[in-house]
Amino acid sequence: MMRVMHSKPFLRLLAVLVIGVSSYSTGAGAGAGAFEDDEACLMCHKYIRMARITEEGVFRSYYVPAGTFAKTVHRNVPCRDCHDYIKQLPHRKVEEGVRCDQECHSKKNPATGKPFSHKAIYDLYADSVHARDKNATGLDNDKPYCVTCHTNPVYNPNEAEPPKEILDRCELCHEKRDFVRQWYFHTSRRVLDIKRTGQEIVAICIRCHADQELIERHENAADEEGRPLGKKFPIAATSYQKSFHGKVTRYGLDGAATCLDCHADNAKYYEGVHKILPSRNPESPVSQQNRVETCRRCHEAADEKYAIVDPHPSFDEEFNPVLHKAEEIYGVVGEVVVTALLGLSLFETIGRRRDGVGWRLRRGSTWWRRSRRKRDRIIPR
Amino acid sequence: MKLSEQATELLHDAMRRNKTSDPEREEIETLIERLPDDRVLLYKNVVSNPIGDLPRYSIHIRLQHLLTFTTFLLLAFTGLPVYFIDAFWAEPFSQMLGGIDVTRVIHRTLASIMIFSMLYHVVTITGGTIYSIVLGKFDIRRTVIPGLKDLRDMKEDMLYFSGRRTQRPEMDKFMYKQKIHYFAAAFGNFVMIFSGSAFLFPDIWAGALPGGWAAYFQDIMRIAHSHEALLALVVIAFWHWYNVHLAPGRFPMQWTFLTGKITREHQMEEHFLEYLRNLVELPEERRFLSTFLDHFDLTEQERPVVGADPAPVPEG
Repeated sequence: MMRVMHSKPFLRLLAVLVIGVSSYSTGAGAGAGAFEDDEACLMCHKYIRMARITEEGVFRSYYVPAGTFAKTVHRNVPCRDCHDYIKQLPHRKVEEGVRCDQECHSKKNPATGKPFSHKAIYDLYADSVHARDKNATGLDNDKPYCVTCHTNPVYNPNEAEPPKEILDRCELCHEKRDFVRQWYFHTSRRVLDIKRTGQEIVAICIRCHADQELIERHENAADEEGRPLGKKFPIAATSYQKSFHGKVTRYGLDGAATCLDCHADNAKYYEGVHKILPSRNPESPVSQQNRVETCRRCHEAADEKYAIVDPHPSFDEEFNPVLHKAEEIYGVVGEVVVTALLGLSLFETIGRRRDGVGWRLRRGSTWWRRSRRKRDRIIPR
Repeated sequence: MKLSEQATELLHDAMRRNKTSDPEREEIETLIERLPDDRVLLYKNVVSNPIGDLPRYSIHIRLQHLLTFTTFLLLAFTGLPVYFIDAFWAEPFSQMLGGIDVTRVIHRTLASIMIFSMLYHVVTITGGTIYSIVLGKFDIRRTVIPGLKDLRDMKEDMLYFSGRRTQRPEMDKFMYKQKIHYFAAAFGNFVMIFSGSAFLFPDIWAGALPGGWAAYFQDIMRIAHSHEALLALVVIAFWHWYNVHLAPGRFPMQWTFLTGKITREHQMEEHFLEYLRNLVELPEERRFLSTFLDHFDLTEQERPVVGADPAPVPEG
C-alpha cells in the first residue's frame, strides 16, 4: 500500500485531484480551464493575496487571474516556456525572472521549425537610448523595459467571436473548429489595425518623461559625469503637451504627430519604435541629418528652414527667451487694456449718469433723470 | 444756435458737396439758428425711435458685422478649449461642440468665412470711397481714419465725464472710441489670419521666409494667435458690449447693427457733426426738426412748456 502511495502515477493523480478540488472550492480558478495549466502553476498562483513586499518596499503580486490570462496573447504558452528557470515545485527564489529575448514558446512552430523568440526586436531595443538590463538598478532602472510598455494584451478585445463566414471558409480545409478559431484570433490580432492610438502612445512616453524626479536624477548624473543630455530632455513631455500636436492628440485626434511619429523611424515602424535613439545620433530621425526628411512625412514642403522650427515650444526663459519675452509683453498689454477699458467705461458711465442719462430709451428719450449739472430735460413727460 | 467754427465750416462744406440749392441752404441755416445754444438741451429733449432714426450703416457693413461677430465668437468657442486645455470646462465644452474632429473643421471653415468677410469689407470701403470721390462727396473727416481731432475729442470727453466741461465735444460720424475699436479689430483680424495660416501651412511659410526667420516667426505666431484671440475677446466682452449693450442709454442694445440706423439723440450727443450732414442730406430730418421746434421752446431751460402737445414720434 505504502509503495502504491509513493509511486509516481499516484502522486500525479493526487496532484491533479488537489488542483481540481482547490480550484473548484475557491472559485479563484474560474476560467482556468481556458488555458492549459499542465504544470499546475495555478495551484499557488490562483490566490489573489499571493504577494509580498520587497526589501525596497515595493508591493509585488504573483497572482495570475486565470480567466483574464486565458484571453491574452500568451494564453497558449505554457508558463515554463518563459519561466524556464522553474525546475521544481515549490520553486526556488526567482533571481532574474523572464527576459524577453530568451527563446520561449511555440517550440514546434510549424512556420519556421525554430523556437519562437522576441530576440530580434529585443536586439533593436538593446541599441536604443532606452536599453537596460532586466534587473537594472540605479539610473538605468528609470528606463523602460519591455513590460513597461507591453503588458500582456487582451486577445482581440473588440471581437468576442470571429465572423462565422470566415470560419466556414477556413473549415473547408481545417476541420477542427477550435483550431481555426484560435488561429483566427492569433493572426487577426496582428493583421487588424491595433496600433496604439496617439493618446496611448503619449501616455506611455510621459509616464517617465514627465516625471520631474526622474528628470532631475538624470540631469544631475549627466552633470556629474560631464556627458551630454538632450537639450529638450527636461521639457520633452511638458512642451509637447503644450504644443498644438500635443493638445489635439490629448483631445483624441489621431493623425497629429505623437512622440513616435518623429522619434521613431517610421519607414519600419515596429522596428523604429523599439530603437529610439538620441537626437545627437546621426541615425535618429530627429538628428540634424534626418530632420528634414522626418518633417516631410507630414509637412510635404518642409525644408532646412522648416526643420529648425521648434516642435517642443516652451515659454520658459531658459529655453526660449524670445517666446518668453513675447508672452510677457502680451500679458502686460492684456492687463493694461482690461484695466484701461474697464476704467474708461466706469468713468464714462459715472460722467453721463451725473448728467441725467437713464439706462433705457423709453418714451422717446433716455434723459428723464435729473441732472446734477442743473440742465434737466425741459419737455415734461 | 451759434455753431462753432469747425461745425460751420463742415456744414458749408457738406452743402457744397451736396450741391444744396439756395432755398434749402436758407432753410438749413434758419433751422440751425432756431436750435438752442446748449446742445445738451437738444439731445435731452428730442424724440427718438429706439430702433433708430437716421441712416448710419449700409446693408454691406451690417452683413460684414454679422459675419464677423458670429464667426469670431464661434472661432473663440472652438479655439479656446484647445488653448485652455487644462481648464475643467475645456474638454466637456469641446465634446459638446462635437469633439476635436468636428471643431477643427468648424474652426477652419469659420476662419475662411471671416477672411471672406474681411475681403468683402475691404472691397466695400474701397468701392464706396471711389464712388464718393467720383460724386465729389468724399470727406475724409467722415471716414474712420483717425486724426489729431480725435485726440482733442478724447481729452475733451474725459473733461466732460469728470465734470469740468459742460458739453461733450462735437464729434464726427466715427468718434475716437470707434476708431480705436475699428483699428484694434482690423489689427486683430490681420494677426489671427496671419498666425492661423502659419499653423495651417507652416512648411510653406518657412520656405517663403528668409533663412533663420522661420523658427522665430512660428514661435511668435504661436503666442500671437492665442493671446490676440484672448485680447480680442476681452475687448469685445468689456468694451464693445459695454458701448453697444450696457452703457446708459444703450441698454439692452443698440439696434444699429440690424437696422443700420442710429437714434436721433445718440447722433446729436456723440456725432453732432454727422447730424449737421444729416440736416443737409435728409429733407425729412429738416422737416422733423422744424416741427419739433415749432412745438417746443428749448431756449429757456428753467421754464418747462406746460400743456404742450406731445412731441411728434417719427415713423418706423
